[in-house]
Amino acid sequence: MIFDLTRFLLDLLAFYAIYSLLTLSLNIEYGYAGIPNFGKAMFFAGGAFAVGAFTTRLTAVILGLSLERFKYRNILIAYQASQIFAQNPFLALSMLFFSIIVGIIFSSILGYLASYPAIKLREDYLGLTLLSAGELLRVIARNYDPLVGGSLGVAVPDFFAPLSGFTKDLTVTGFFLATALLTFIIVDRIVNSPYGRLLKAMRENELAVESYGRNIAKIRMTTLVLGSAVAGLAGVLYASYTRYVYADVFTPFETFVIWAMVIIGGKGNNAGAFIGTLVYVLIERLIMVLKHEVKIPFDVNYLGYVVLSIVLILLLFYRPKGLLPEKPVQTPNIKRIRELKKERNDKTRDGLGFQQ
Amino acid sequence: MSSLVVFDALMFSNLLVLLSLSLTLTYMTLKIPNFAHGDYATVGAYIVQTLNVVAGLNYYVSLPLSFVTGGLTALLSYILVFYPLSKRGADITSLMIASFALSTAISSVLCIYADYMTLLTGGFFRTFSFNDFKVDFFGWKTFLLLPFTTGLVATLLLLLYLLLNYTRLGIAMRATVENPDLAETLGIDVNKTRAVAWFLAGGLAGLAGGLLPFRLLTSPALGSFILIRIFAASVLGGLNSLAGAVLGGYIVGFSEILGIYLLSQPPIYLSTAYRPAIPFIMLIVTLLVAPQGISGVLKLKGGSRR
Repeated sequence: MIFDLTRFLLDLLAFYAIYSLLTLSLNIEYGYAGIPNFGKAMFFAGGAFAVGAFTTRLTAVILGLSLERFKYRNILIAYQASQIFAQNPFLALSMLFFSIIVGIIFSSILGYLASYPAIKLREDYLGLTLLSAGELLRVIARNYDPLVGGSLGVAVPDFFAPLSGFTKDLTVTGFFLATALLTFIIVDRIVNSPYGRLLKAMRENELAVESYGRNIAKIRMTTLVLGSAVAGLAGVLYASYTRYVYADVFTPFETFVIWAMVIIGGKGNNAGAFIGTLVYVLIERLIMVLKHEVKIPFDVNYLGYVVLSIVLILLLFYRPKGLLPEKPVQTPNIKRIRELKKERNDKTRDGLGFQQ
Repeated sequence: MSSLVVFDALMFSNLLVLLSLSLTLTYMTLKIPNFAHGDYATVGAYIVQTLNVVAGLNYYVSLPLSFVTGGLTALLSYILVFYPLSKRGADITSLMIASFALSTAISSVLCIYADYMTLLTGGFFRTFSFNDFKVDFFGWKTFLLLPFTTGLVATLLLLLYLLLNYTRLGIAMRATVENPDLAETLGIDVNKTRAVAWFLAGGLAGLAGGLLPFRLLTSPALGSFILIRIFAASVLGGLNSLAGAVLGGYIVGFSEILGIYLLSQPPIYLSTAYRPAIPFIMLIVTLLVAPQGISGVLKLKGGSRR
């Protein structure tokens, strides 16, 4: 039995960080704002494709490596780049941050584009549009070689090459977890602000929000851009972890898994999203490791998918709010609001007095 | 353009029409875009392949069974998932997720079934396709699938028309679609009528699935592979009109086959691997430009002429 518990845990936590970013991203869009994004895999792919399309090429250009026959030679280029990265930690780090920025921008643009149908269409039609758009991007990426190498895929240089062995695994996982945690804190601050309340209000009754003078189109757009940016970040981390970008990874099934995690954990509750992710990733990784230990005539993964689907349907029946149900938005203390109001009123009164 | 391409498009479109028609039927009854619809077709394909490998049955002979199994799968998904969920007041997004889960469950079960059957029989189950027979059709040599599917679609459309307009069951179905509450007060068992509609729809999908391996390489993922095409055809048709679904099926099917044929010719030389992109783009464009579809634009009514 080849089973290293520490490495298993580090690998699990790395995937946990990536998936919790995705869950967080869908939770902003669906859990808070009620936008059913059935094309989540597209925005996840956006980040990974940006790394595959730009980072490997840019690295090659910076290092003076030839870009000739890139489709076939990208694995060699990525390997050479990793070797140079190992000697030059600063370059590796700056390329990693370049990738993150490019991935976030690319996915945000996709999110901005997706906001056009999201404003026009009601939920089931929007779901179909985004699902279809995701599949369209996948078909193009698989067949249009200059993007991410077509059906061969693109290799990504190892940004963590300066480190090696256990230190490297620990650093990678630590970096991923820190990124996920930081994103969680930022997102949680945003959705627990008046803006978060606005999102929930829009989810419950668009007409009411509009009658209070809010611009629904703009809120939907900012929500999709924010959600897509987070998904793009997950895509970059995924590409830098697997060091390989391949179009057919980002199927509607991937979208389904992200939805499952949000619904298991509890929509509209970021803590719930983290729990749902943990449940899924734990089961998935355990099956992946243990399936080599048991002898049955079929792939255990499929049994896992059947169980996941049944659990999801049962959850929709008996616990539609998920394991951790939604909580009210944490607005500032009501006393503090009253104080602020009073201060403002006093100021206005003073102002009026001054004018008189 | 070679006549072969046109015939190919006709065969493919005939099958797509069966699928879009049945998807529209389920959408009209419960207003759920059912992501598991393609998987009813896969179930039909697997029944035909199993009977061929195990019992040596001709593909065309076992088609009635693909109708029954497809119908039963749809009926079960209605009884076990969609009916109870919508009764509990689940919103449309939850119903869509449930159908997504159902689709994953069916295709995963089929994967397990395929692995197991391969081991048991040694036949092809993970991926397979059917070889068609050449027939002499009034002195004109062609694949059997072409006259067969054309006749099948024509017959089924006629039967469906008669059912919906001249039988108690059909009229009950239309009443249920138009106004479920009113239908109930008139003594129609709405739930039972919907269940029959789902069985019929699943059956049509299963039937199409039993014939799809003649045109497409079939695997447990066939359902998700054809799903967006079915939606493209149904949405183009308007999702609330059977006549629209038929029209949508032919338009999307012909556009896909003829479109990729023309694009792969000079001066464009596009790779035929882009073929799925055509229905995807058609779906997106329909939804953005005219989400009400053909029937909405032409003001067609569901099932009847009125």
